[in-house]
This record gives sequence, C-alpha cells and structure tokens, in this order.
Amino acid sequence: MLCEDKMIEEYPLLPEPKTVRLKFCKTGALQYISHLDLQRNFGRILARADLPLWYTQGFNPHPKLVFALPLAIGCESVCELADIRINRDMPCDEILRRMKKATVRELDFLSCYEANRKFAEITYAGYLVKIQSPMNMLPAEADVEKLLTSSPLIMIRKTKSGEKETDIVPMIKKVRVSKDENGLCLRLLLSAGEGNTLNPELVVSALRQHLAFPGEEAEYSIMREYLTDGSRKEFV
Amino acid sequence: MFSSSLLKSVSKPGRYAGGEFGQILKKREDVDANFAFCFPDSYEIGMSNLGLRILYGVLNKDPKIRCERVFAPWTDMEDKMREKGILLCTQESGEEVRSFDFLGFTLQYEMCYTNVLNVLELSGIPLLASERGEEYPIVIGGGPCSYNAEPMADFFDLFNIGEGEEMLPEIVNLRIKMKKKGASKQEFLREAARTIEGVYVPSLYDVSYNEDGTVKAIEPKYPDVPRKVRKRIVKDLDTMFFPEQVVMPYIECVQDRIALEVFRGCIRGCRFCQAGMVCRPVREKSPETLLKQAKCLYDNTGYDEISLTCLSISDYTRLRELTDGLIEWTDGKKVSLSLPSLRIDSFSKELMDKVASVRTSSITFAPEAGTQRLRDVINKNVTEEDLMRSAGIAFETGKDTIKLYFMNGLPTETLEDIEGIGLLAKACVEKYYATPGHGKRPPQITISVSSFVPKPFTPFQWEPQDTVAQLEEKNQYLKEKITDRKIRYTHHDARVSHIEAVLALGDRRLSAALIEARRQGFRYDAWDEFFSYEKWMDVFAKCGIDTAFYANRRKAEDEILPWDTIDCGVTKEFLLREKHKAYGEKTTPSCREACSGCGANCLGGKDICCAKTK
Repeated sequence: MLCEDKMIEEYPLLPEPKTVRLKFCKTGALQYISHLDLQRNFGRILARADLPLWYTQGFNPHPKLVFALPLAIGCESVCELADIRINRDMPCDEILRRMKKATVRELDFLSCYEANRKFAEITYAGYLVKIQSPMNMLPAEADVEKLLTSSPLIMIRKTKSGEKETDIVPMIKKVRVSKDENGLCLRLLLSAGEGNTLNPELVVSALRQHLAFPGEEAEYSIMREYLTDGSRKEFV
Repeated sequence: MFSSSLLKSVSKPGRYAGGEFGQILKKREDVDANFAFCFPDSYEIGMSNLGLRILYGVLNKDPKIRCERVFAPWTDMEDKMREKGILLCTQESGEEVRSFDFLGFTLQYEMCYTNVLNVLELSGIPLLASERGEEYPIVIGGGPCSYNAEPMADFFDLFNIGEGEEMLPEIVNLRIKMKKKGASKQEFLREAARTIEGVYVPSLYDVSYNEDGTVKAIEPKYPDVPRKVRKRIVKDLDTMFFPEQVVMPYIECVQDRIALEVFRGCIRGCRFCQAGMVCRPVREKSPETLLKQAKCLYDNTGYDEISLTCLSISDYTRLRELTDGLIEWTDGKKVSLSLPSLRIDSFSKELMDKVASVRTSSITFAPEAGTQRLRDVINKNVTEEDLMRSAGIAFETGKDTIKLYFMNGLPTETLEDIEGIGLLAKACVEKYYATPGHGKRPPQITISVSSFVPKPFTPFQWEPQDTVAQLEEKNQYLKEKITDRKIRYTHHDARVSHIEAVLALGDRRLSAALIEARRQGFRYDAWDEFFSYEKWMDVFAKCGIDTAFYANRRKAEDEILPWDTIDCGVTKEFLLREKHKAYGEKTTPSCREACSGCGANCLGGKDICCAKTK
C-alpha cells in the first residue's frame, strides 16, 4: 500500500457483500504454475492489493475466491476469470489499479467488473495451438482436420475419477488448421466446464500418436483465447 | 534459458521458470558485476532461506551489481540437462551461470556439499579452484559451514566468515575496481584477503600434517595474508540493510511466510550448539524497527503468517512489546504469528495465546537430554520441572500432542541418560491426565532423537562422536524401553550423522573424497532417498580416508585444528573452560545473568550482550 492510496475504511460499507469479476492473463513463466499454486498465490495478491475483502464467516475465515475454469500447466491464457467478494464500495477501476500493482506482467489483470453471469454457463473454450516445425515436416491440413473430426478418436483422459478412455471428437466443437513459415497453427474450440473439459494438450498428443507429429522435442505453445457459453457467444 | 519443451517434460516446472513477483531484473550491460547466488538444494528449500532474501536484496541494491538466483535442479531435470548437454541457468535472466563474474554458495549443512559440486559441474565450471582460469566465475562460499569449510577449500576461491550484508558488496566492489585496472583473479583474491575483514582465501594457506594425521601447521603463503581471519558481524541491526521485498515463490516452499529476524546471537551457551557460539555477540533489533519492517513485509508480500526468527525467541528482551504491537494489526488482517522454538523455562500461557499454534494441536519443546545430570553437562539449563510446567500449560489450553527433541551420543552419556528420555515422555503422559481440563483424546507424546555431531567452535569440538554401532545400540535400547502406545519414538539415521561429523570436522584431505563422490554421481545427500551410507563409506575407503579419525577420535586440547585459521570471536580458552565445566557437570549462567568472558565482545556491536563489559 502506498501513502497516496485511500485507506480501505474510507470506502463505505456495503449493505450486502458484492461479487466482482477479474479478468487476467497467465502467460510466459506463469504457464508453469499449477492451478493449486495459483489459488494459493491469489490470496497473497489480494492481500498486497489491500482490497476490502469479505471473509467467510467460518472457523477459519478466508476471502471468497472462485475461478472460472482451471488452466492446465503448460497452457497460457489471456481470458482467465476469477470472482472475489468485497464488503466496501470500492470502484472496479480502483480494484483493477490495485491488483495491477500487486502482480507481475505475466499474471496481469486486464479488467474488473460486476459479474452478472454464472461460471456454470461456460461451455467452450477457444485455443490457439502453435507447433514450430520446418515446412517440409508438416502434415497436410486435411489430415489433421480429418483426424480431429472423425469419431471415434479414443484418448486416455485424466478425470477426477481417474484415467478413462474417451472419444475426444465430440468434445472438439471446431477445428481450423493453417500453416505458415513457423509451423502449424490450430484454432480449436473445445468443450469446457465442470467435468467436461478437454485439455488441448490431449489434442496435441492425438496428433503425435496418429500423425507422428509433432516430434517429442518440438516446441509448441497453447494459448486459451476466449470462453463461450452454449450458444458460442463469448462469456465474460 | 530452459526451453518450453524441456520445462513441459519435468516435474514442477515452476521451479525453473522464474517470473516471481518481487524478483529483480537488471540488464547485463547496465552493471559492472554479475553475481549468481546459489542455494545448493531444491528451489523449495532454497527459496525458504532468509540469508538468500537478505543478500539478494543487499547486492541488488547496489546499482553496479546484478544478483540472480540459482538452485540445484531436481534429479529429473538434471538427467535431461546431461542428456541434452544443457548448462545450468539463473532464474531471472536464464543466462548461463558460468557467464557470471561471481558464483556464491550458501553452505547451510554439510550434506549439501555434493550438490555444490554438482551445480559447478552442471554449470560447466571446473570443480577445482586451481583449474579455473580468468574466464570462470569467482566461487564464494558463506553460511554456517564456512566456519570449517576445509573439506570444500579446494573448490572455492574465497569464503565469507560471518555475516555477509556488508562484506559481500565490499568484495564485489573490490573486484570491479581491480578488474578495471586489469588485475588478475589471483591479485584480487590476495587483496581481498588482505583488506576485507571476514574474507578467507584458502589457497593462500599451506597446510602440513603430522605422521599421526593431525594438522602440523597452517601457514599463510605471504606475510601480508592474515594469520587469523576474524569473523565479520553487522554491529547495529536496526540500521542494517533489510529486504523490504521478498521474491514470492508460486510453488509451495518449506518456509512460505514472512521471516522476521528479531535478534542475532544467543545468550545461552548450550555446549553442543555451534550457532549459539559463532553467532555471538547478541544483537537485538528494537520493537520499533521490527514493527515497521513486519508491516512493510506484509504490504509487499501478502503472506498470512509471520514467523519470529532467532535462536531463542523468549530471550528477546522486549518480546511483549513486539507481540502486542504485531497483534494490533495482524488479527484484523487474518495474519498469524508463529514462533520457531520455545524454551521450556520461559514458556507462558500469555505467549501461547498470541501465536498461531492455537490453530494446531501440537507444540514442540527441546529438552535435548533425558536426565538433569546430562542437561547440566550440555548446559541446557532447563529442568524437568520446567518441562512439566510448560506441558501443563499446553494441556490446559486443549493441546494433546507434544513433540520433544533430544540428542543421543552426547559426551559422558550413559544408558541411564537414554532411559531418562523415555521417563520424561512418560512423565508428560502422566502430567496430561493430572492436568485439570485436559482434552478428551489420549495424549500423543512424540520423542524425536537425533545423534550428536561434534561441531567446530563449540566446547565439544574435541569430543569423539559415538560410533554408528554405539548410536544404533542406544536407539534400540530406547525403543525397547518405550512400551506406552501414547509415546511415539522416532530417531534420525545415525549413519547420516556419522558422515555429517566427518565433513563437519574434516580437513582439506577430504576434497579427494568429495571429488570421487561427484564422479560417482552423488547429489541430494541431505535427502534420505538419495543418501547411501554404504556408497559414502566406499568412497572414503577408496580415497584411503579413515572416517573414524575425523569423527570418532578424541582430540588433544593442544592439537592444531583444521579450522584454527578462523577467529569467530569466542576464544579457545573459553571453549576449553566450558569443556572442563561440562565434565564437572557444572552449568554456566546465561550472558544476561553473568558474563562468562567468551571473547565475542571484542567484535563490538551496538548493545554488547553483557552489560558489565560495556
């Protein structure tokens, strides 16, 4: 907290705690931080930002914090969402300003607003997968598309109840494949939400298993770009 | 820089990725010296170290210096690095460690020595200082083990003896100045040894040995090299550099909280304890300073726990002011306080109410020895009555689990003393049932026994360690004595303690064994899953080293000890006096009750521990 900041107590108490939504990115070095570690660190960022947090009323009070959709290790994102609850009327732009000061560029807060839609509405997540490779090593676009749209494509998927064999094609809503001088680009719209999330890493594994591409050593990046509801309208 | 495909292929890649809040990023071209600071263990252990937090801050405060962190890669990463020929990089910039001007290691425990050598190797840096040319970093060691780092002497260019806050920037700045004038590494090392207090350059001393293997002489090679290297201390802790920002690890670390250093040194003088001797004289921070620093650290870190760090918190003269001042704001912020160690002669309900331990049901005490006689020998200065009183307070407030720390293999120890450990635990069980308002569950008393390792600069530095067989026999004896299921008994591996003793008490001839250990791929020896006693003993045997000579031999009082070049303030005369008192089962009062003339006052300090000698 810097001296020029207003004290929390200067903001009026709210009659009811209010939920506000934070949109943030998780890129670069931060892609290697697990969801669990992110959760733990979020509490510290909130404390550094010095927000008027509402605490749960139980035996072990803690700030209310809900994430939209966990992100797998090795996956970057520019569309992460988390809800926090405040008990004083601090404006959203002030919350955003404080959060930005309390974090690093690779875990930056992009916007803050009062939330009106529930995370349960999230049905799909859009990803951009970039696989570096010389042109002559690339598979044909049509082969990639065919693989990812021909049911069944059985992969072993880790779920809460252990590993299970799943046909991932029904979970791939949309595939667009393109090539450029750096390699292969995949734009994917994958199933997302409670118990039904397809990790884009699995799509890369499927390519590797069936098209022998990319090689074990290949560099590739995965970026989560947007979230949508069931009608494929962007979820915010 | 580690590639993303490499990071994606190892466990916990967050260990290597950097990008933490609070890390300091500078550009190579903007500074005059690059310093890689290595904690030679895993990221989770290293990031917990307070010394790293301080020295990282103090070096980076200097605009001429860039300091970056390095840790030992975990074994899966090491395998991949070796397979692909990738060299070790720093956390911040991902630049190769060997491109730095300095590589500093903090030596916190002997069992990290193999990791130090592994880090050198993985960085592409020759192990032996004598084989490193001008193009390699100057390798510096510091931390508790540098008080006798002779087994590691051949691998280091210089050691920091004592506290590094002032010494380390002086060393780097001297190098910057001399390098600009074109001075060589050797010229720099000699100048540093000559002019900077606390700098020990092992290559500037010749060590010779007697027929019987003991040290014959340690001679400076040049007349201007100090015969004795005096430990460096920071005299005033209130004005000392303090890191207001902490690098915040994302992955969970061993000590993931604010460490508030309350004071340095210890007034007690337990005769087995090296820290209690080499950290003298006692220097306190004022509550005013501490309260300011605690709030500042909270604002900058957001940690929800503050640990008060020092050798014995209840000896802090203004503890109540400090805890009261902290609680004024910590409760509202849901920040809890924790205390590292509590002495049973000063444990109070008032103190316990203030600390986080109310959340847990367990509390830890360290009587160290099982009988009053042996506690007097080691000068622990606590009684069974103290323990019963403290246990009673804990039980009254609803605790049902107590952990008791002991040592076995202490000088003069008999089986009666070992049996005493069990009897103390039994007395705790009885105390539980005799305490009105005790909990509903049966009590759980845990006894944790480690083996005594004689350490340099303690009154017991001349003592032999029990053999592994003796220690294991004592462990077995105690195990058989404990029949109550409410008492849980655990003990450290005596075989690790033996290797520890060899390395702690060793001389330069051990470097051959450490090189052989590296050749055989030793690393992470501080971790049970990687330590192998048999392999260590093979290495020593192969190098013709008799471990009993170092660990199990009683040293003559007039013997030249490998660490005699170092002056830690406390005199040999004092240590001998204490040794003799130990044999007479006579205790020495704490520095606050009476000055025992240890000699550390010669080092100065704002509030010298003993008022009489001011």
